[in-house]
Amino acid sequence: MIPTNFEYFAPATIEEALQLLDQHGEDAKLLSGGQSLIPVLKLRLAAPTAIIDIGRIAALKQISVSGDTIRIGANATHADIARHAELKQHCPLLGETAAQIGDQQVRNRGTIGGSLTHADPAADWPAAILALDAEIVARSSQGERVIKATDFFVDVMTSAVQPNEIVTEIRVAKPAQPQAAVYLKVPQAASGFALVGVAAQLTLNNGKCEAASIGVTGLGPKAFRATTLEAALRGQALDDSTVSAAAAKADAETADALEDIHASGDYRRHLARVYAKRAVQAAAARA
Amino acid sequence: MKIEGSYTIKAPRARLFALMIDPAILQRCMPGCEALEETGEHAYNVKLKAGVGSIKGLFSGAIKLSDVRAPEHYQMNVDGKGAPGFLKGVGTLALSEAGEDTVINYAGDVSVGGTLASVGQRMIQSTAKMMAGQFFAALDAEMQAILKAEETGEPYTPPKQGILRNTFRQLSK
Amino acid sequence: MSFLAKYIGQKVKRTEDPRLIQGIGHYVDDIKLADTLHVVILRSPYAHARINAINTDAAKRVPGVVAVYTGADVAGKVGNVPCAMAHPELKVPAFGVLAQTKVFFVGHPVAAVVAQNKYQARDAADLIDVDYEPLDVVSDGEKAAQPDSPVIHEEFGTNIALVHNAGVGDIDAAFAQADKIVTQRLVHQRLAPISIEPRGVLAQYFPGEHQLNLWSSTQIPHLMRTQVSLMLGMPENRVRVVTPEVGGGFGCKLNVYAEEALLGWIAMQLHKPVKWIEGRRENFQATIHGRGQTGTVQVAVKNDGTLLGLKYDVIADIGAYHQLLTPAIPTLTGLMLSGCYKIPAISMKCTEVFTNKMSTDAYRGAGRPEATYLVERLMDCVARELNMDPVELRRKNFPQPDEFPFTTACGVIYDSGDYEKALSKALTIADYQKLRDEQKAARAAGRVMGIGVSTYVEICAMGPSAAMPAGGWESATIRVEPTGKVTVLTGVSPHGQGEETAFAQIVGDMLGIDMNDVLVVHGDTAVVQYGIGTFGSRGLAVGGAALVCATEKVVKKAKKLAAHLLGADEASLTFEDGKFVGAPDDKSLTIQEVALAAHTAASLPEDFEPGLTATHFFEPKNFTFPSGTHICVVEIDRETGELEIKRYIAVDDCGNQINPLIVAGQVHGGIAQGLAQALFEEVVYDENGQLLTGELMDYAVPKAHQLPRYELDHTVTPTPVNPLGAKGVGEAGTIGSTPAVANAVIDALAPFGVKHVDLPLRPEKLWRMMHN
Repeated sequence: MIPTNFEYFAPATIEEALQLLDQHGEDAKLLSGGQSLIPVLKLRLAAPTAIIDIGRIAALKQISVSGDTIRIGANATHADIARHAELKQHCPLLGETAAQIGDQQVRNRGTIGGSLTHADPAADWPAAILALDAEIVARSSQGERVIKATDFFVDVMTSAVQPNEIVTEIRVAKPAQPQAAVYLKVPQAASGFALVGVAAQLTLNNGKCEAASIGVTGLGPKAFRATTLEAALRGQALDDSTVSAAAAKADAETADALEDIHASGDYRRHLARVYAKRAVQAAAARA
Repeated sequence: MKIEGSYTIKAPRARLFALMIDPAILQRCMPGCEALEETGEHAYNVKLKAGVGSIKGLFSGAIKLSDVRAPEHYQMNVDGKGAPGFLKGVGTLALSEAGEDTVINYAGDVSVGGTLASVGQRMIQSTAKMMAGQFFAALDAEMQAILKAEETGEPYTPPKQGILRNTFRQLSK
Repeated sequence: MSFLAKYIGQKVKRTEDPRLIQGIGHYVDDIKLADTLHVVILRSPYAHARINAINTDAAKRVPGVVAVYTGADVAGKVGNVPCAMAHPELKVPAFGVLAQTKVFFVGHPVAAVVAQNKYQARDAADLIDVDYEPLDVVSDGEKAAQPDSPVIHEEFGTNIALVHNAGVGDIDAAFAQADKIVTQRLVHQRLAPISIEPRGVLAQYFPGEHQLNLWSSTQIPHLMRTQVSLMLGMPENRVRVVTPEVGGGFGCKLNVYAEEALLGWIAMQLHKPVKWIEGRRENFQATIHGRGQTGTVQVAVKNDGTLLGLKYDVIADIGAYHQLLTPAIPTLTGLMLSGCYKIPAISMKCTEVFTNKMSTDAYRGAGRPEATYLVERLMDCVARELNMDPVELRRKNFPQPDEFPFTTACGVIYDSGDYEKALSKALTIADYQKLRDEQKAARAAGRVMGIGVSTYVEICAMGPSAAMPAGGWESATIRVEPTGKVTVLTGVSPHGQGEETAFAQIVGDMLGIDMNDVLVVHGDTAVVQYGIGTFGSRGLAVGGAALVCATEKVVKKAKKLAAHLLGADEASLTFEDGKFVGAPDDKSLTIQEVALAAHTAASLPEDFEPGLTATHFFEPKNFTFPSGTHICVVEIDRETGELEIKRYIAVDDCGNQINPLIVAGQVHGGIAQGLAQALFEEVVYDENGQLLTGELMDYAVPKAHQLPRYELDHTVTPTPVNPLGAKGVGEAGTIGSTPAVANAVIDALAPFGVKHVDLPLRPEKLWRMMHN
């Protein structure tokens, strides 16, 4: 790797990191697991003058479950999340998503906070985070704010995190029926990113769908909640024809589907519909 | 790569068109524009610090407006290069009246080369759309500020521009 | 030659691996010389452009920058990148080490920046201002051949570099007699070889001695020495090429690139060591690609399945320039168009065209995968047309074992073969009939299942010198040192093939010594006698054969001395298990004792040279022709086109196996690459000649989790061409697998009326085939 020159900082605390961020402004970049930033630096697609390595801030690595809330520190790696026993019990969708990211080396380094902030339109986390209606906590020297997942993904590679903020934590309310969830994806053959990924978290009652929360990634410039699909499932018995009809609207929220050499927009739309159907069926079957 | 879209701004068409060929406004509205220098009629050299998310690069290039037919049409040619690669684009902007609104339809063809082409392929289209959206959001803000100043008789204060600000402006539409 | 089989034929673990697994091997970038300067190459972002001006002022001002060179600096001083193919009609554009007035492909070297460290050099390269004037781009091979296409090299007035015709037999008569003619257009996409270690060069010059040392990650140190010395006007014996550990080549390092001579020249200008290590993006842009053929195949056939003739009219998209073997690779396709079948008449017309892309050249298989793919695809097309089982059609046209040596209508003589044996074995392992029954049931249930068979033969052990552009022999020296340790100097240049192990096994058995006493030295032109290198599955079959002959010479010499020392008649001595026995009074001498005596030289026979060493240059009489059967079973998701390989069976015949573990490893890797060509890999340039697959994010090399479990077996049909009876196995997996996978997928899609799909078989393509 031959990046441009930068100054490297390794703050020990969040406060110190925020101070550095204020000091260096937009010319600074945060480094956590490096799985997004390092490739960009290597390609010289960014030339930050300061790298603030928050990867050593232990406070950001905690995962805890207390009461109804799951808290995941932004520096928790995908591998940490994939193997976390309590998460498996209370919200298996998190571990299932984490386990499908990249390859083992990527999972060992990459962090949930880094991935979310980077907001790659084909990343896996956004689908699950949306389906779980999670909240992302961002801190600046002015204080802390809580961003709803649905407000977090702004546009292609653009999250709601401001240049002076650090994502510190992801909060997830324990799902009522943790098992009624799934993350399914079609990986792009080269990168492993999602051509399309669908996360579903259902609440079922007497064979009927009380609530469905579906996150879709890979299809559009940003991950989104498939609200039309969700509405079509609400209150319905999840028989094949209902699910199929509802899933046919999985792409309704996306005006522009991504297109590249790996898949056309039309194919991505088709995959979103098929995988939305499969995700709902799989989640229902697990409940 | 084809890029097209439309944007609606609440303003009289002629007023909007006048803004769209005003170099001072262009400089303020173009995402990441750091300098704009007039080189001829409707021809400019520009320096842009443009990008998306953590990807950012310095570009320098030339913009030329041609086939300028006030208040409804012009063609824009863009030719730029920077460390991440080069881009070349040609597009048309057409303004039509819709009641109190003006609808801007844009359609263009962009080709990119260098690192951008070989690693950014899947994002170029959506990035271009996003930047177009930011441009129009900024233009909208300028227009509304001017109209408001006229209406209230207060002195015109240019709105604050910025990539993030305009992204949110665009989203809140 | 008979062998003690203590090592030969055994699954001996590779002696190379401990250092490689521990990460303590030495690659070019691990060689650190004091005061080394670092070079970064500025490359063209345009596929075709005129260079109006280059301004290097800002670059030269960057702290640490020592020099910036452009085309003007090297013009007339460094020779052109060489092409080894001599053909009177071949058009050869002058390929300077830095671009002169134009650039012809994305990645074309434009300037070289030398600085104290690579960061400074890279920063400076970013500051070089090149005024490019874009020109019309030719990015499609078929369009390049059209008369109205823009011309890339104006001096030729055409983009056609060469029209190569091949084949024998009366092709018109064959087609006239046909009951059916089956025609299919096939695209053989471009691939990137992707060695894990990219290329790299370190150059060091001693002005006093007028000596240039080059460390290079190459497959051909000696050929490189010759070519670089010519490019630099250096006496060949004052250039030393050292090849340390090489992290994969797959043919892409069977070449002489601009950078080797350029770095050598820079070292000679600056009198300091200079190093350049290729980055991955450069590797995609400026290291050769493979394949790149688009053509139409026609097969003439009788209704009973008897093959009469085959025609192939193909355009090879060779890129902007010739690298070392660029124009020769498509001609190799022409040697193997008979596949493992009796086809009385064959003709090929190959039109090689320039395009604004990186050159194509040898990539694992090099010309033969193209042949095997098209023959094996067409066999399935013919079977479909005749409503025959594809296996029966193949069987019907095999030459029988007693028909070898078998001369094909491509003009080559297959050394030995038993195609039925491998086919039967593979069918048995697969339980073919049961698979077909399962397929019937699956189809009835609406599932999309396919079975693909590929019976391949390939051409290896390159090769007789008369058929090669730069010699096809190989060399070996064996030295039994005074302590009895054995040093082997081989002219091949292993880079993952495991010859340090295999050669030690051979010598261990031939000399009856511990194989760990054998050191195999390679890849240093100052130490090893001239050799040709490692490519074309030749390391063992040609290099190993040279070693066998050299070892025989050493044993013969040792025997003479042993007889002298034992007071025995030479004819009565035999060499068994490391000892000369058969002397009077049961006296014997070990090879180690003889070696010591040969060096102390106190008592030698008359006319006996001291020392115990021998060299042999082995010239093969023919190529070898390994063969085999691969069977692939796939299931395709009807809704999405996603594909799963359910089973993969390979029965390969590479003749005698020295080390079955290494053979299996080669087959594993080969199948992975061939399967990846079928399913994932493709170098994509857009219409502007921009390389869209410029990183591993978009170019899909196969990963372990994407590959099936392999069910491997083998048959053994030794070759008479060399004393080992070994045919070579470096490329077989790649060659046999692509058509097996493609045939399985297209077989699966048959109920949808699909007769062919071009590679790579991405899910979207398959989905469209099922739903359009």
